[in-house]
Amino acid sequence: MRARDLVEDYPLVRLSDDALDAARLIADQRRPAVVVVDEEGRPVTVLPASQVLSFSVPGYVQEDPSLSRVYDEKGGADVCIRNLSRRSVEEVLPPAERRYELPVAPGNATVMECAATMARLRTPLVVVTEDDGAIRGVVTASHLLQVILDASGSQA
Amino acid sequence: MTFSQVLAVVVFVGAYVLIATERVHRVAAALGGAALMLALGLTDGETAFHSLDAGVDWNVVFLLLGMMIIVGVIKQTGLFEYLAIAAAKRARGKPYVMLVMLVTITGVASAALDNVTTVLLIAPVTFLVCDRLGLNPIPFLIAEVMASNIGGTATLIGDPPNIIIASRAGFSFNDFLIHLAPFVVVMMIVFVVVCRWLFRDAFTYDEQRVAEVMALSEREAIRNRTLLVQSLVVLALVLAGFVLHGVLHVEPSVVALLGAGLLVLVSKVTTEEAIADVEWETLVFFMGLFVMVGALVGTGVIGEVSRALADAIGGRPLVGVLALLAISALLSAIVDNIPYVATMSPIVSDLVAAQGGTPQAESLWWSLALGADLGGNATAVGASANVVVLGLAARNGTPISFWKFTRYGIVVAGLSVLLAAPYLWLRYFLLA
Repeated sequence: MRARDLVEDYPLVRLSDDALDAARLIADQRRPAVVVVDEEGRPVTVLPASQVLSFSVPGYVQEDPSLSRVYDEKGGADVCIRNLSRRSVEEVLPPAERRYELPVAPGNATVMECAATMARLRTPLVVVTEDDGAIRGVVTASHLLQVILDASGSQA
Repeated sequence: MTFSQVLAVVVFVGAYVLIATERVHRVAAALGGAALMLALGLTDGETAFHSLDAGVDWNVVFLLLGMMIIVGVIKQTGLFEYLAIAAAKRARGKPYVMLVMLVTITGVASAALDNVTTVLLIAPVTFLVCDRLGLNPIPFLIAEVMASNIGGTATLIGDPPNIIIASRAGFSFNDFLIHLAPFVVVMMIVFVVVCRWLFRDAFTYDEQRVAEVMALSEREAIRNRTLLVQSLVVLALVLAGFVLHGVLHVEPSVVALLGAGLLVLVSKVTTEEAIADVEWETLVFFMGLFVMVGALVGTGVIGEVSRALADAIGGRPLVGVLALLAISALLSAIVDNIPYVATMSPIVSDLVAAQGGTPQAESLWWSLALGADLGGNATAVGASANVVVLGLAARNGTPISFWKFTRYGIVVAGLSVLLAAPYLWLRYFLLA
């Protein structure tokens, strides 16, 4: 089985898209991340849900565990929404030097190749591209694990 | 001057310039200087490690170590977060009332803990409360760091220069409370009044947002009540040990180490967690400094400087006290006050002895402490706590420029010196 056989449609966001919309997309579809593309539709990086949280939760709260407990649910939500509003996806991404390396695999990549890429980059998905760099789809870690477990005949 | 004295001065000044200009890490500069002093035979191992007058002051090193461990455990309790949020709620979000309460908490805490830790604990909760109220956190942060430097002046353990002075002069915890705390209380009152004017543009009150502060739950900040009680009991015991130093005849360093050991023993904090906040770099920096200054003492440089200063002061001790206050404040505004006080302590010790050790002569020590501790408020780099808060502010998207801080700092430091001068004159000369 090759990467092209495992691809599934996956939500994409552009660098210029509204960060709050991207967060809503992740939340509504219960995705661990979204793929970020440039204005020409070429994949640039992935935006994990954890990075959205990292941007929206103030640094001083992240560093002080006691402070994270003092908000009520509405207060905490207000803070996160306020930090995300009027921001673009590009602003929410880490600075270029710390940006997540794009987990990419060609269509003919093997299951093990995809698994190795995910393991190395600690990412829940791999973007599968055509020869011209266009996105063919995405292979998710959960789908890949299912294929691996099925192939070994492992059962719960 | 002898050749060895010239060599010692060259090594010392070289290391000092490197520390002041931050061309190399201050620990590397201090250790490098100490190593050169030893390699050139300007001091020796016996003196560096075992001499009370010209070696590493282990009382200072272990007092700092013990307090760092205690503070590291207290940090985990959430006490500061609780106090600051409770204060903001008590103030019902009124900015100036809130600033007065936060400044008071910071000042009092700095007297019992070190300044850097205090501002590290109070700054995050300040960001949170200001965010809830839609206030600019910068005036609050600047006021807090200044309150921390002022409050730390009150006690032996409040500021590292005081620890050095106490050890060199043989002062007890109570001596600091008797001689410096009254001035610090007055200074704090003046400071909060001045804050009303200094930061007058920052106190905009938005009643709509008060509910956001009132919704915060300060009780949730206390993550481990048992640890909080254990920490407070141990801190109280340690402070009692300091106060009863004269009765118990136990060095403050021993009291702090016993407190640290007791806290680690009775709490469920692991040893790794307990020592995680120990600033080993600072401790090593102190050791390097002490060896370098010890070489200056051993080669007779300090003695020469002391004699020259004693001649210059002559029979006018008040001139010496006021000059030392002004010079200490000025230099501490520009360079780290720890190496400054480490260098000046043996000189002041000689000057006090030359003047017969009278209370008037001893006021030179208080002049040095007031100048060095309060002068640090003048610029953004005058004290470690200032640098730490500037770093925190930048990381949280509200950078404070060097000049923005210094604009307020010069006013507060200048005022401190202007108030300290008549205090010293009245207390040790006019009313003595």
